[in-house]
Formats: sequence, structure tokens, C-alpha cells
Amino acid sequence: MKKSLWLFIMITFTFLLLLGCSSNNEEADKGESDDDSTKSGEQIEISFSWWGDTGRHEKYNEIIDLFEEAYPNIKVDRQFGGWEDYWDRLTTQVSGGNAPDVVSMHQFYVSDYARRGALHVLNDKVENGELDLSDFPEAALDSGKVGEDIVMVAKGITMPGFVYNTAVFDDLGIDYPESDWTWDDFVDKAYEIKEAMGGDGWAVEDGSGGQLQPLFRYFARQSGQDLFTEDGKLGFDEQVLTDWWTMWDQMRQDGVIPDAATSNEYEGLPLEANMFATKKVALLGLPANQMYLYEEQMAEGEINIVRHPHIEGGPNGEYIEGAYLSITEDSPHKDAAAKFIEFFVSNDEAIKIFKTEQGPPAGTKASNLVLEELTLPEQRAVEYIQTTVELAEPAAYAPEGVNQVETLFSDNAEAIAFGQKSVEQAVADFLNEARSILEQ
Amino acid sequence: MGKFKLFWKNNGIGYLFLTPWIIGILTLTAIPMGASLYFSFTSYDMFNAPTWIGLENYEALFSDPKWLQSVKVTFIYVLIGVPLQLAFALFIAVLLNKGIGGLRIYRAVYYVPSLFGGSVAIAILWRQIFGGNGLVNNILDKFGLGGINWISTPDTALYTLIILMVWQFGASMVIFLAGLKQVPIELYESAKIDGAGPLKQFFMITLPLITPVVFFNLVMGIIGAFQAFTPAYIVSGGTGGPLNSTLFYTLYLYQKGFTQFAMGYASAMAWILLIVIALATAIVFATSKKWVYYQG
Amino acid sequence: MESSSRVVLKSKQSKHKREIKKIVIHSFIIILGIVMLYPLFWMVSSSFKQPSDIFNSVSFFPSEWTMDNYTQGWKGVSGYTFGLFFGNTLLIVVLAIIGNVMACSMAAYAFAKLKFKFKSILFALMLMTLMLPFHVTVIPQYIVFNHLDWINTYYPLVLPKFFAVEGFFVFLMVQFIRGIPNELVQAAEIDGCGKIKTYWYLILPLSIPALVTTMIFTFIWTWNDFFGQLLYISDIKLYTVALGLRMFLDSAGESAWGPMFAMSTLSLIPLFGVFIFFQKYLIEGITTGGLKG
Repeated sequence: MKKSLWLFIMITFTFLLLLGCSSNNEEADKGESDDDSTKSGEQIEISFSWWGDTGRHEKYNEIIDLFEEAYPNIKVDRQFGGWEDYWDRLTTQVSGGNAPDVVSMHQFYVSDYARRGALHVLNDKVENGELDLSDFPEAALDSGKVGEDIVMVAKGITMPGFVYNTAVFDDLGIDYPESDWTWDDFVDKAYEIKEAMGGDGWAVEDGSGGQLQPLFRYFARQSGQDLFTEDGKLGFDEQVLTDWWTMWDQMRQDGVIPDAATSNEYEGLPLEANMFATKKVALLGLPANQMYLYEEQMAEGEINIVRHPHIEGGPNGEYIEGAYLSITEDSPHKDAAAKFIEFFVSNDEAIKIFKTEQGPPAGTKASNLVLEELTLPEQRAVEYIQTTVELAEPAAYAPEGVNQVETLFSDNAEAIAFGQKSVEQAVADFLNEARSILEQ
Repeated sequence: MGKFKLFWKNNGIGYLFLTPWIIGILTLTAIPMGASLYFSFTSYDMFNAPTWIGLENYEALFSDPKWLQSVKVTFIYVLIGVPLQLAFALFIAVLLNKGIGGLRIYRAVYYVPSLFGGSVAIAILWRQIFGGNGLVNNILDKFGLGGINWISTPDTALYTLIILMVWQFGASMVIFLAGLKQVPIELYESAKIDGAGPLKQFFMITLPLITPVVFFNLVMGIIGAFQAFTPAYIVSGGTGGPLNSTLFYTLYLYQKGFTQFAMGYASAMAWILLIVIALATAIVFATSKKWVYYQG
Repeated sequence: MESSSRVVLKSKQSKHKREIKKIVIHSFIIILGIVMLYPLFWMVSSSFKQPSDIFNSVSFFPSEWTMDNYTQGWKGVSGYTFGLFFGNTLLIVVLAIIGNVMACSMAAYAFAKLKFKFKSILFALMLMTLMLPFHVTVIPQYIVFNHLDWINTYYPLVLPKFFAVEGFFVFLMVQFIRGIPNELVQAAEIDGCGKIKTYWYLILPLSIPALVTTMIFTFIWTWNDFFGQLLYISDIKLYTVALGLRMFLDSAGESAWGPMFAMSTLSLIPLFGVFIFFQKYLIEGITTGGLKG
């Protein structure tokens, strides 16, 4: 009895196996016939890959559908996923020689890809109009350059700032922060918030460590320095870093910002559960294009944004951030890929779908086009971005090894927070090791 | 020719059964393994061809404080986590193997945590349980004890991950159960007649007879725990924090390879790990002759 | 007469004692079970909550029950529903199970009961393949599969299983097959069974607990494994449940936790079902004990 059951299972499985293989073969055959038509020079297929949430997937699929209608001979293979998955897959694809033709790019990783020759340099295509970016302001175009090479094109740009919820401030009976504030004002405001909040929370999340940009980078630029120099050396000195970490350490010791363990607990939590959304802190450093997410999340109040604090008498810290599109160096269909990017950032219908999905479109005409169709919080964000973008100045992209430097930065900041190192010790350790990484 | 025929006559049937495995290892496993061994002697950023640098990666490892930290973390995880998980799984398996009603439901219930695998839900859950305002501290509060933030304090964070490992004991439990099934029932009956209590039965009959399965779970537990990645990756959000206290070996390896693009270095790390695991496994195998009993 | 009544009394007493013991064991198992299940309860309850409720409300139960997460989650993205993802995953899982059971049991039989040259070296090699972290082999493997033109097909996820690349299962079955008494094997051979027949008619039926364990684990691990699926599958038509679930999460933007929990709950049902169904064979399968007598 048992044996016959066993046999039955085996036979069923074998049958399923055959079934599975044959259906797979059919798919493979279809794939091949596509290839054949490529050879005849009519039909080509490019692939485009992006990160995002389900809402973004819907939007981008729509834009691609439009593109395929406009260019019936180009089929776009769509690849998408969340942020971490996206980069894991892209790394593997690029090193495996199977990179998508058009990829989404980000400041955080562009140095790694561009400086290792994985991205196609677009200067020629932009100059001869094959990739028409005439609508782009100079600054937006420049933000896609690594050195002199245009390696990426902004689909949306954004500017960071500090956001607050009006309802929370009203409850606490505190004046809203002013947009033109200094770091001293920032610290004063933080103490004021903490006093009003009492034991219920803190003024702001610990901003001493984590990523090098935007917070620390603004501070360095406002001090007349930057993270890195044009030739890829460390761009800031001991004094700047010491000032930065001392400021945060003082606030931490006074309980104005959360202690190290609490900060760590909230690290990597989803937006809905983070300290700002749950009103554990009253201020949050955030790219303006994400403001509406919090307005959706928090029942009461308006989410407003002010510029990052500055240093009295110092230069502006602002530089353009955004989300970008690149063509990979190994792409066999660079012309079609360029057409796609152009369509994505400048076609009216596409722009109307994109709206401010990853920040308002970089093009002047394009961003005016979407302005009318936005909700109020989105409009506030776009207005903020449009005014602060005027203040933006060029910013050099990081050299290879930036990720290592960044880890070093956050490790040392964490060591101060947990009381494992003094500020002096951490600064010395960081500078030492960072310099040796960048020497290599 | 004659020699070959003789070889075939003596060994052919064995190799016949091994054919799929041999094809697999030659085509699917050997190339990637060999490639990674080669990479470990190179500087390889994954996008450009690797360049030979000899033993530099290996030398650099031993002066890398983060690497040493990851070794320490991993050894603690293996040495405490593996025995704890096995003991727990065996205890529950034996308990469930007794003739108690409703067994099937219990077994399934106890397997549930393992079904979660590396689901991201665990990251949130673990904070709800071990965070500053989590379940554990709420219970401690009731007894007038002040708890700490278990998950974010460098001294305790790793232990919450060990608990996570013990909590997902289902796979070992199932293997123990399958092993317990191979113990002939008559042996228990004759033991009962001899007046042996449950504890004595366990140590005299059950444990010796399931040593092959204990051995398997031990070896696989060691191999798996040395390579543990997902728990730290999801609970710490990929950082290995706080203060690198949960920086598992493979998590650091992943950071090196996939975020810092140092695949040569990562490969060297991998081969050092392989040697360590191989040594640990070899020790277990060497002792196994003394304590593993095969009925065959 | 006297002695027999004493026996009855004794057995009554011990029956009573046994009842108490049973209750104690049961309550222990149940309490532990609740601890084990807490996360599941939490996830299922969250899947019926309004999105804003999931992280903000302190209450364990939804303040307002909603099915929205399920309807919204099931829709998937751009017209590709979770129905498709479930179907795809099932296909992969079934093929993987067949592959693992066939190939691993063959290799295990060879390692456990057959004599051939270089056996211990090959066995050590098999274990060694388990000891290298996959993050360093994944790139070369990707290159190999890319050369074979297997990207965006199920081949990389399924075909390797037919070549017993999962040493875990080979080793597992080796441990079980070694436990089958040699006399039994010899008896079969005396009865005229060749090695192949022995494998089919003796070894396989006798290692059903191990085979079932392999099936359960292959099912669950393949179902949950997302890294391989992430790398090799990019076309949404081929998406699996694990990939579908990841789609809801984007740490750089807005994650759809409600639908994610809803679909996670759904995806646990087949896993749970398979476990319940197969554990019958695991626990009540043929035991070697009976055959040995």
C-alpha cells in the first residue's frame, strides 16, 4: 500500500517535470523568435531597471507603455525591486556581463559605477542632440557629471532640509523654525523642544553619523570645505569634524537627542514606525520630495520644511541631489536607450505620469508642467526645491572607496555615541584610516 | 584496458549512482569555487578584470580590526548558539515523540517560527520583543525590574540573535523526529520490563541510537552557524550594529563584496572561513567514531 | 485474590498520576507553543489592520478589521496578481523537490552503502561545497548561467537540484541510509536484487522519513529563498511569491506593510499545509524497527 503510494507520487512528479520542461521550452522558443526579428533590424529590446515601491512600479510601467506605443520597434524589458535588492542585483548583473541597458542611478553609488567604467559617458549624445536635454538648467545637467563626464541624467531632483509637523509644534507651544537659521539657532531650538517635550521624546534624531551626506556634507561645505577634493582626497580637516561631533555629543549628553541605544533601535525601521512619524522627535532631516509621505502618515498638522542650518557668514551648503538614469557601458542598444531616457525626462505625457515621483523633473518646462497637477504637500515640496536649487553650487563626486570611508565615519560616530571613544580619539582614528583608504 | 575494466567492475556501480552529483560538481560547483579561490589572490572590483596580488588580501585580513571583530562575534554565535539550539530541539522532539494526544498540531505549531525563514517581519518583531519598550521589558516591569534595550545594547544584541536561532529550531527538531522514528519500539518495551525510567531510557536507548542524527545536526549546525547571515542582516538592517556587535563573518564579507566592491578581499575571507569550518567539521568527524553508533 | 486487587489499585493510582503528568506536559507544551506562535498571531492580526494602525496602535487586535490589505496585495503590480506568483512558485518548488529527492538519494546510497575508490575524498569534497559562503560564488555562477543563456528562466533555480548540488540533503540521507542494517541489504542481494533494484525496492522505501524531510525542507527553503530568485528572475511574468513580497518593501520610500503582511500570511498557508500533510509520513512512516524483527 505504502509502496504503491510512493510510486504514484514519483510518477506524478515525473509527469509534472516533463510538463514543466516543455512549458519552459516554449518560453525559450518565444525568446528566440524575438532575437530573430532583431537581426532583421526592426525590432529591438532594451531593458530598464529601477528601485521603488509598488506605486512607483505602476507609474513607471505606464510610462514604459507610452514609450512602447511611441516607438513600436522598441520593446522595454522591465526590472524592478526595492532599494537593497536593486543594488544587489545590479552589481551582479554588471559584473556578470548582463547589465540592463538603462539603469537608475543615485549619488550614493554613482562614483562606484562611473569610476569603474560601468556607465556610458553621454557627452557626445547630449552635444549632438541625440539625447536632447535642452530643457535642463545647467546646474541640473552638471549634477549628473562625474568629473567632466555626463554619466547620468536626472529624472527628478530634490533638496534636503529639516521638516517639522505644525501640529506638534503648536502642541508644544514653540515657534516654528525659521528657514534662514544657523547651527547655533538649531541647537537652541533643539534645547527648547526638549524642554517642552519633557520625557516624551527628543528634539531631533542623532545626526552625527550614519551617512556622510547630506547633513555632514552641508556642514563641511558651509565651512568652505567639502567631503572630498576634486582629485579624490579627503576634503575636510580635523577642526570641522571635531566641531561637528562635539555639537552632537553635547546634545546627546544633555538628553536633547536620543541616547545611542535608542537611536540604534530605530535605525532601519520603516517610515511608519520611525521616530518622527511616531512623534518621538519633532525635527527630521529629509529630502523635500518625501514630505508628502509623512503628511499622509500623520493624522494632524502640515509638514513644513526649512533649509538646513548654516554657518554665520559661511558659504551655502546646497548642492543638487536627485534620482538619475544612466546607460550602461556594455549596452548593445545605446541609441535606443538614449531615446528612452529622453522620452522619460521630457515627454509631456510621461512627465504628467511621473509628476514628482522622485522629486520634480529636472527640466524647467517639465517641472512647470507638473506643478498644476500636484496636491498641496507636493506643491510645498516643489516650491521649496525650486527656491533652494537656486542656491546650489557644484559638488564633486566621491572617489572610489567612498563606501569604506562612510562606514568608517558611521563606526566612529557610533563609538562616540556609545561612549567608547572620546571625540578627539574618534576624529584622530577616522582621519588616519580615511586617509590611508584614499591613498590606495 | 584490462585494468580499467577491473576498476569499473569494482567501482562502477558506485560511480553510476554518483553520476548526477559528479556532473553537478564539475559543471555547477567547481567553476564558481575555483573562481572564488582565484579571486582571493587578486584585487577584484567586480566590474574590471581581477589583477593578481598574491597573498595581500590574506595578509590584510589579519590586521583588519573589523575582521577580527567579526571572527569573535561568529565564534560566540557558534559556540553558544549551536549547542543551545540542538539541546532545545532534541528536548522538544523527545517530548513530542511521546504518545501524547494532539501531537500533530503541536509539531506543526513548533515548526511555525522556522517557516518565517529570513522574512523582514522578523526585524520588526524582534524590536517589539526586545526593544526598549518591548515585550520582555514590559514583563520585567511587572516584577519591578528595569530592563535595558536588549537589541541595541552592544553587550546584549548578539544574544538576542542567539535566541532567534534557538527560536527557529524547527528544522533540527524535524530531523530529530525522523531519527527517533528509526528507534525500534521493542527496545523500549524490553527496557520497561527491566524497570528503566524515562530518563534512563533516554540515555540508554534513545540517545545512542539517534547519534547519527545528532551528528548530522551538529555538523550542519556548525556549518550553518559559521555562515549565518540573514539574522544579523535583517535585524541590524545590514549594518552589524550596534558597535559591530552583531557583525557576523558573512555579513562583513557581504559588506566588503557588495557595498565596497572588494570581491578579492571578500573571497579571501570566504576561503579562510572554509578552512575554519573544515577544521571544525574534521574535529567532529574525528571524534564521531567514539560516540556515533550506526545500526548497520 | 488479594494480590490481584492490589494490582488494580496500583494501576488506578498510577493512572491518576499519569493523568496529572499528562496535564503538566500539555500545559508546558501549550505555553511554549504560544511563545512560538506570538509572531504569527501578530502578523496575521496586522494583516487585518488599517495601514496606519499597524505601527501606531498598541492594541494587539485591529481596532477596525479590514480586508483591504488582502484585496490590494493580491492585485500585485501592473496586472500581475499573486495568483500568478503562487503558480510560478509551485512549479519551481515541485521541480526542485523531484530533483533533490532523486539526485540526492542516489548520491547518498552510493556514499552510504556502496564501495568505490576515492569515496572518502569525494565525501569530504561534498561537505566542502557546503562551507563556502554563497556571496563569493554567486558572481561566477551568474556568469556561467549567463553564458548558458539561462538568465530570466527557471533553469538556474531548478536544474542544479537534479545534480545533487545541495550537499545538505545528500549528507542527511547518508546518515539515514547508513542506519539501514547491512544484513537487510545482503538479504535482498541474495534474493537476486541488483544494486539498482536494491536502491529502488529497499533503500528508498526504508528511508521515507529522510525523503519526506527532504521534501519538506526543499519545499520551505525554495519557497522562502529569495536571493537566487532575485538574481535570476527579473521578468514579472516569472515572479515568485518571495519576489512578490519583496516588491512591497522599499526602504527608500513607502513600504506597503499591510499588503505585505497579508500576502505573507497567505504564503505561509501552503508551507503549513505541506508540513501538516507530510509529517504523517515523517512520523508514521515505515520504521526499520518492524522489519528487523
